[in-house]
Amino acid sequence: MTQHVVNVLLSGVFHASILFLVAAGLQVVFGVQKIFNLACGSFYALGAYAGVSAVGWYAGAGGPPALFILPLALAGLAVGAVGIVVERGLLSFVYDRDETFQLLLTFAVVLMMEDAIRMIWGTSPRSTSGLYLTYGQVRILGAVVPVYNLIVIAASLAIALSIGWLLTRTTFGRIMRATADNREMAEALGVDIRRVYAKVFTLGTALGTLGGALVIPATAAMSEMGIELIVEAFAVVVIGGLGSMRGAFVGALAVGVLRSIAISVYPELEMLLIYLIVIGVLVARPRGLFGGAAA
Amino acid sequence: MKGGLVVVVATGAVAAAPLVASTYHVLLMLPFMAYAVVLLGLNLLFGYAGLVSFGHALFIGIGAYTGAFLTTHGRVRSLEVILVCAAVLGGLVAVPVAALCVRYVKIYFGMLTLAFGMVFYTFVLKFYRLTGGDEGTPFLRPSLLGRSLDAMPKIDYLVGPYYYYALAVLILATLGMWRIVHSPFGLCLKTIRDNPVKAETLGIGVTRYRFYAFIISAIYAAVGGALLGPPTGNVDPTLAYWTHSGNLVFMTLLGGFASFFGPVVGAFVFIYLQNWVMSIVPYWRLIFGAMLAVIVIFAPQGLMGLVTRRRPVPPSRA
Amino acid sequence: MILQAVGLRKFYGEFCALDGVSLRVDAGEFVSIIGPNGAGKSTLINILTGITRPSAGSVRFKDREVGGIGPVRLARLGMARSFQLVQIFPDLTVLETLQAAAVARLGRGGRLFASLAGDREVQEAALEVAELFGLGDKRHTLARQLPQGDKKLLDVASAFALRPEIILLDEPTSGVSTADKTAIMETLVTASRRIGLRAIIQVEHDMDIVFAYSDRIIALHEGKVLADAAPAAIQADQRVIDTVIGRRAGAR
Repeated sequence: MTQHVVNVLLSGVFHASILFLVAAGLQVVFGVQKIFNLACGSFYALGAYAGVSAVGWYAGAGGPPALFILPLALAGLAVGAVGIVVERGLLSFVYDRDETFQLLLTFAVVLMMEDAIRMIWGTSPRSTSGLYLTYGQVRILGAVVPVYNLIVIAASLAIALSIGWLLTRTTFGRIMRATADNREMAEALGVDIRRVYAKVFTLGTALGTLGGALVIPATAAMSEMGIELIVEAFAVVVIGGLGSMRGAFVGALAVGVLRSIAISVYPELEMLLIYLIVIGVLVARPRGLFGGAAA
Repeated sequence: MKGGLVVVVATGAVAAAPLVASTYHVLLMLPFMAYAVVLLGLNLLFGYAGLVSFGHALFIGIGAYTGAFLTTHGRVRSLEVILVCAAVLGGLVAVPVAALCVRYVKIYFGMLTLAFGMVFYTFVLKFYRLTGGDEGTPFLRPSLLGRSLDAMPKIDYLVGPYYYYALAVLILATLGMWRIVHSPFGLCLKTIRDNPVKAETLGIGVTRYRFYAFIISAIYAAVGGALLGPPTGNVDPTLAYWTHSGNLVFMTLLGGFASFFGPVVGAFVFIYLQNWVMSIVPYWRLIFGAMLAVIVIFAPQGLMGLVTRRRPVPPSRA
Repeated sequence: MILQAVGLRKFYGEFCALDGVSLRVDAGEFVSIIGPNGAGKSTLINILTGITRPSAGSVRFKDREVGGIGPVRLARLGMARSFQLVQIFPDLTVLETLQAAAVARLGRGGRLFASLAGDREVQEAALEVAELFGLGDKRHTLARQLPQGDKKLLDVASAFALRPEIILLDEPTSGVSTADKTAIMETLVTASRRIGLRAIIQVEHDMDIVFAYSDRIIALHEGKVLADAAPAAIQADQRVIDTVIGRRAGAR
């Protein structure tokens, strides 16, 4: 019994770790730029496919299996550069427009990336067969847990702490928070908003692509993964509160673990439970747990 | 009036299509007409009330599945009954959804509607014993005006009686929406789109009007959804997926949300263009995504806006 | 007595915008509220018109407690207002704006399938108000294309189109050239007689206008009522002169 609970919890936390990365990317962009980036799921998918390719190339080139996580993570971070292209090439044209148009533009990116990924990698799922258990497994309270999962959980935690440190202890973090709070004021104080936006969006994208890359050994890269994940990421930020990093953390844990519990108890429920909670949160407390301005 | 003449000619062209155009193109008109009905309703919410819903496919799903269930499990084949039931169910579901959603605006409204849409999608997908899961439920050939046309070959049915039935529904829906938009109710909607605060000081209750606009648009979406069923003979959960809702907004923007016929134009262009692109290369999303980006950045007033050069009102800022 | 406020207080966090304001307006009165910037005038108007809830105190309109019932219900009860920063419906024409007010007044907003153009009562009412305010020949102009003075007029006209019993005007002549100011005020007075308006409250900075039109003047300062009297008494009130009016540099 205990081992079952441990399994459910740990797989939930693993999923939460990945979700957190994508949600953090979403939050950072919404918090500073006030744009809800529907394409964050697409970036996640991009990172996943890039990760598969990188690992495949790495294995083919004879790299030691134990170090596979390096090319995986690096590929994930590298394709985050797509963020600069999207931001400079598209989003920057609509910063002064109504947020509906900004949202629709991110939807355009969703559409384009869906097919771009298909064009490059085809439509069949891609996976990194066998690498999942490279680091072996451990027994925790009777449950068998892949070490890889623990590595990802630890990495995600480390990144969460780094983001916290970035936001509170660095100049750029302070600039980010100032811009998030009051853009006009920040501009008046000499902040180059365009550069801040470019950097923030790229950071947000890179978090998403990294999340996608890290999930790869545990699951296959599939063409729908982007548009499916956005709904979960969206649930995370609603529960946690739009724009809040703490919210992303708590929200991700909530969604990840709840989903895991739901699947083990009544598989049909899965996301249904999550959506109902989302609706409940939006109705009872639109700000979510840590969110800022009201609806 | 020039505009009226264009509409009459266009309607005539649509009516004449089965006689002069190839079967292939005539069949494409069927989803166009269904989507046109949906979008007429959606634009009441988007263009006239100023609310962007990312979950309207929910009501398409409700309409489609109502029809499918009635024909497959309910042994009801009358399209009149199906359309009425779809409208009623769409309206009923819209009441609690609207009651919750219209209290919020902008991004929160979009998020709430998206969530509701996905609830329906997940429900229909997961409870496959009831709904057929991702394979969907069959939508058997409905009888028109009491006459069962099961004996007819499918193509003849679709490009013949069903085509004109759908066209009649579209014409009625258009006339209805025209009246609504030019009624005192329609004027009040426009005031809350333009300036909700001032509207309230005139005694126009913002939430109330948004609520009714939502219900009406849901009814239209459900009727359109029911019309989407017979041509393929099957309805499946993807009808309610959030990207489908996104495409609806896309179509509305493409045609022009500030004009009455904009959404109809948008539906037509979207469907034909998508079809044409898919015949050349399977990556229609890439091209359409680029098209949406271009529209949002350079021509947010859509095709009708380019033609009439009238500046639209962006959705409400309240 | 038409409108009465007792002990109104409004706090924004720790900042006190209104600190125990009481006033009363009877039928037939034209009351001006004056005061330096930050005195709480707009807050007071917003509370009286239901847009803002007071932290404490009550508002009675036509002998009903109306604190916090919101602008929609207040409009239906017979109160209308115009705004300091002009509020219009940018994409509606002048006529459509006034039609909307008429529709709201006549309770026709629920008519989904009736023709607006065919509603004679609404059409005539809207046209009448347009002519009254001198906007008749601009009636098909989009509100956002009007010159600033006309936008102000439209804002006020749409309030009048509700045929309210009391109207609250927040700086009706601000942002308007001196020549236009008198024109607006005269139109206001004529219109109010035509529609049987029972009382007018205005917030106004232009002292010439204030003294020319008011039956009574209420001077606000730092959230409190400094003085509440007829123009002659106000002109002689030293406190008011010091804080609000200032000294006249020679006769005018």
